[in-house]
Amino acid sequence: MKRSLFHDFIKGFVEENPTFRLVIGMCPTLAVTTSVVNGFWMGVAVIFVLTFSNVFVSLLRKSIPDDIRIPVFVILIATPVVIVELVMRAYLPAMYEILGIFVPLIVVNCIIIGRAEAFAYHQPVLNSLMDGLGIGAGYTINLMVIGGIREFLGTGQITIGSVSFPGTPLFEPAAVMLTPPGGFITLGLLMAALNIAVARSENRKKARRAA
Amino acid sequence: MEVVAVILGGVLINNFIFMRYLGLCPFIGVSRQLETALGMSGAVIFVMTFASTVTAAFEQFILVPLGLEYLRTIAYILVIAAFVQLVEIFMKKTAPGLYRALGIYLPLITTNCAVLGVAMLNVRNSYGILMSTLNGLAGALGWSLAIIIFAGIRERWKLMDIPPVLEGFPLALVSTGLMSLAFLGFSGLFRNLVK
Amino acid sequence: MEEKLVISSSPHIKGPKTVRGIMLDVIIALIPACLASLILFGWKALLIIMASVASAVASEALYEKAVKREVTVGDLSAVITGILLAMTLPPNVPLWIPVIGSAFAIVIAKQIFGGLGCNFVNPALAGRAFLLAAWPMHMTRDWLNPLTYDAVTSATPLAVLKGTGQGTLPGIKDFLLGVRLGSLGETSVLALLLGGIYLIARGVIDYRIPLGFLGTLFVGTLVFGKPGAFFQGDGVLAILAGGAILGAFFMATDYVTSPVTARGRLYMGIGAGFITLLIRLWGGYPEGVTYGILLMNLVTPLIDRFVVPRYYGYAHDRAAKEAAAGGR
Repeated sequence: MKRSLFHDFIKGFVEENPTFRLVIGMCPTLAVTTSVVNGFWMGVAVIFVLTFSNVFVSLLRKSIPDDIRIPVFVILIATPVVIVELVMRAYLPAMYEILGIFVPLIVVNCIIIGRAEAFAYHQPVLNSLMDGLGIGAGYTINLMVIGGIREFLGTGQITIGSVSFPGTPLFEPAAVMLTPPGGFITLGLLMAALNIAVARSENRKKARRAA
Repeated sequence: MEVVAVILGGVLINNFIFMRYLGLCPFIGVSRQLETALGMSGAVIFVMTFASTVTAAFEQFILVPLGLEYLRTIAYILVIAAFVQLVEIFMKKTAPGLYRALGIYLPLITTNCAVLGVAMLNVRNSYGILMSTLNGLAGALGWSLAIIIFAGIRERWKLMDIPPVLEGFPLALVSTGLMSLAFLGFSGLFRNLVK
Repeated sequence: MEEKLVISSSPHIKGPKTVRGIMLDVIIALIPACLASLILFGWKALLIIMASVASAVASEALYEKAVKREVTVGDLSAVITGILLAMTLPPNVPLWIPVIGSAFAIVIAKQIFGGLGCNFVNPALAGRAFLLAAWPMHMTRDWLNPLTYDAVTSATPLAVLKGTGQGTLPGIKDFLLGVRLGSLGETSVLALLLGGIYLIARGVIDYRIPLGFLGTLFVGTLVFGKPGAFFQGDGVLAILAGGAILGAFFMATDYVTSPVTARGRLYMGIGAGFITLLIRLWGGYPEGVTYGILLMNLVTPLIDRFVVPRYYGYAHDRAAKEAAAGGR
């Protein structure tokens, strides 16, 4: 049976959203989300690493012995991480400084080894490619949304490149949003809000079935 | 003096959980009970301290002489994984009591980003082997302090009526936020000593 | 089995009537300090207290309505949170500061965990810590000159003592009456002590917490207060100059977030005093009372777990247990 490639891509956004449904990869989710732009570049780095490792794990899945698969996964993940580090340092040195140790730490991000183990190790190459792109894109959107909320409340505006919106803040920004307490509380409340929304829609479905 | 500064910095001022966001998954995952939090703390203190030693030595004696610093990430993760494996085997043979207490936590530690994180921070601060070890110990003590406090708080939740939409991660994150709000009080402590 | 016995946490108050009675006592005890703040800082003080209380009560009612719980504003605990938060604010802050602070205190620090008795940090102090991290400029500069009501941004006595600000220190009489720069309700020492003594006399709070707190602060400042010379610091000034009295009598003694046992309460006071001292003398902020109490709130469950009262027949009990275990 051939799985739908489209489904493998799209499931990363809602159904298997890494932050809110699977709840993994939390350290960078909090550490780099002080602005939309930071979230975006971290997300791009993760998309590259995840897609690379998914494709190679899937390609080699028949020749990797079961017993040593974890160390092999780690090497297949660390290789693209090193590539990302070198490329970022060369072309985006300022962003590389901001993201700091969280770029090399992608290597221990549970999302990536989790997808290798749960998906790519058992699925064909194309599906694994779509899975990597989809989960990575879902993760990127999460980082940008959380970064957006924190940046807006913490600085009063959203700044992308040299453009800020709105030009002058409409309220006195709450600096706490950019600090760790602000990050923890924002993510906690976002998760609660999402849980409430999910519970509501399930209740509605139940009610419809009963009717 | 520098020793005191590193310890205070790691435990209170730049606490791994509350200020650096490192090692959150196990912090939330194994903090439901004080006993498991203590066990995990023991394992983390042991591994983080000596993984710092091993990676710093690896940096100084292998990566730098060979000019292979750009392979640091890949090298460190392998060194840490191998180290944890060795500790597990060694502990099983020589200290079965300790192994029984900490053994189940060891595999969890390879995926704890705090271990690789502290190794990376050591390099960024250009610490030598001794200072790296100390920094690893301080970070691990801070992490342990955080999880032990949190486990104490969480044990009380068993008696409380918490709505299901908040249970688990949402409430754990909000509480971590409140705790880190309290730890903000230490920021700027001994500013002339601590980086 | 043992665990279950230890965990049963405060408050050991049963029934809403008693909660309300105790809360009423606390409100009575806060009246002198509130009146003092009105005299010292004028109508701005009244507006801040009103905004803070209104926001606290409204947040509590709205949240409980939203999650379909029984509305518990009648127990008056939200009123106290509102007053206490107002007491910790500089008198010239814009009114949205107490409104946001109280809403944070009630919803994030208390109601999310299930309401009164389930929070692990003092709501008012969590609100203040949030405001201080969010709008530090307002929280450290919006002062009013007492009695003349002029807006000033000069340094509070604690900042002067720390050397981070310029200014002159008032005399002891002004400290006792509260004629100095400072937060709304922290300045008038006599009014606060009046309330504190009332609470102790009524048996509402345990004297051990303020004693441990202020005692540690006094001795610690005496010994370490002057850089380079031991036993030269001014311990009395340390108690008078900041928010120590307000914190020690009204915040650290909160039932829900302080230990249950007598010994535990003494440790709580000493710990909060010690952290306050640490932050005041070597920390990044001029005042450490908020953080001292909040950090001790965090370890209160651990204190309750490990500092258990010895009960009669304990040794006998253990001997019996060991004998039983040996016999098997």
